[in-house]
Amino acid sequence: MSCQYTQATSVDEAVSALVDANGEAHLIAGGVALVILMNEKLVEPSWLIDVSRIEALHGIDRLPDGTVRIGAAVTHREIAESQVISETFPMVPEMAAEIACGRIMNKGTIGGNICLADPQGDPPIAMLALDATMRAAGPDGTRDIPVREFFVDLYTTALREDELLQEILIPPMKDGSVTAFGKYAARKAMDYTSTISIAVRLIRNDSSGNLNEISLGFGGVGQTPMHSEEIERMLTGAAPTDALFEAVREKLFDVLEPIDDHLYSANYKRHVSAVTLRRTIMKAYDGTWEGEGVLIR
Amino acid sequence: MTMDVTLNVNGQEHKLAVEPTETVVNILRNRLELTGTHKDCSMGVCGACTVLMNGRPVSSCLLLAPQADGQEIRTVESLEHDGKLSPLQEAFLTFGAVQCGYCTPGFLMTATALLEENPKPDRGEVIEALKGNLCRCTGYKKIIEAVESVVGQ
Ligand SMILES: Cc1cc2nc3c(=O)[nH]c(=O)nc-3n(C[C@H](O)[C@H](O)[C@H](O)COP(=O)(O)OP(=O)(O)OC[C@H]3O[C@@H](n4cnc5c(N)ncnc54)[C@H](O)[C@@H]3O)c2cc1C
Repeated sequence: MSCQYTQATSVDEAVSALVDANGEAHLIAGGVALVILMNEKLVEPSWLIDVSRIEALHGIDRLPDGTVRIGAAVTHREIAESQVISETFPMVPEMAAEIACGRIMNKGTIGGNICLADPQGDPPIAMLALDATMRAAGPDGTRDIPVREFFVDLYTTALREDELLQEILIPPMKDGSVTAFGKYAARKAMDYTSTISIAVRLIRNDSSGNLNEISLGFGGVGQTPMHSEEIERMLTGAAPTDALFEAVREKLFDVLEPIDDHLYSANYKRHVSAVTLRRTIMKAYDGTWEGEGVLIR
Repeated sequence: MTMDVTLNVNGQEHKLAVEPTETVVNILRNRLELTGTHKDCSMGVCGACTVLMNGRPVSSCLLLAPQADGQEIRTVESLEHDGKLSPLQEAFLTFGAVQCGYCTPGFLMTATALLEENPKPDRGEVIEALKGNLCRCTGYKKIIEAVESVVGQ
């Protein structure tokens, strides 16, 4: 099948191509997800709109109010090496540094990863825990979408057909916030199936030891990268005891919706998610980490 | 619909009319007859097709021709000069880091990029850099030793 290619140089050019294509175009950034689907003939595009050379989709900046802005076409490698991000959100570069391997990090972008909306993606759950905002650009200008409304179904986001993701905005964390990222993967360098991951941001009450505030992202256990206000409510104000984590584990068996795959059963994934959640919370809480085989940040 | 792209491969410019969906690995192998770059999984998993784009490893199976337009590509063919293998290639032979040879070009390019960027990697850094390349023969030990043997040269 014949395919048209638009090497866009501005957001306006990309958006007007999206409008002209009327839902028939695919955006491409690094291509490390989309070209797999093309090689497998799962996607046979008739129009590709390349956003990777659009200046406005590049750059990492700290805005005057402390918000960090990451252009959608910034690569995992640039994020892993970013001083600006690591100063405020160390979880983010540490997470990016563990995405596959150099070949993928050099090409794959945060925007492509988030817009793929793979339930196992790492950046989406980090953004969920950090309450980031997704700034979309369309024919009527830009529109801000809270990350908790962005992942709507399997491989489906809240973006409209004529919109692209322009940038990601991570708001400053409240004083006292700490973060951690936990990931359980069979072969961490290349496997991208059966990865269970957890992102945590919390504030600990130093006098009582209770969890004052907590915000979570769950990877690999549902149709989308997930958050759960129910679980967050159970943890808020509580002391991180065995009893609490046992109750959370039981609740997780209802809340999570993983699928059986060639490596793990759905129930095994629920179990791993609960264990990883506890470990990752404790890593953020007081730096302790128990157990092997889990990559933790 | 074909489009014109310019690929700079191993220092030579190639002006090509391509289908936008053609991958660089296919162009290298089928049109430029640079068959040193091997193609295997076509999913970015195995590392066999690794080439350097602007000095950094990428999977050429996931790289469309227009994405590489105007960029500098280096393949395993660039390592040999005047009929002489590079020290890294020699080390692969000396250490027995080549068995069936299918993965070798990918390892060589990944390790070349590592050594250019970080001329004195320690063992941990070598292993980290090579973690995205699969080898089903050597068990990796000889490959790691071969790379370590040229550190500092
Ligand atoms: C071997 C391997 C291992 C991997 N391991 C991991 C891992 O450990 N963790 C992890 O999180 N990911 C992993 N991935 C996935 C990979 O990191 C992401 O899918 C990648 O970041 C996608 O980015 P891209 O720029 O290449 O996207 P592309 O392939 O270019 O695009 C992906 C999707 O996003 C859309 N898109 C791209 N840019 C935009 C935009 N600006 N606005 C709207 N839509 C857009 C495209 O239309 C397409 O649907 C792995 C991939 C491979 C091949």
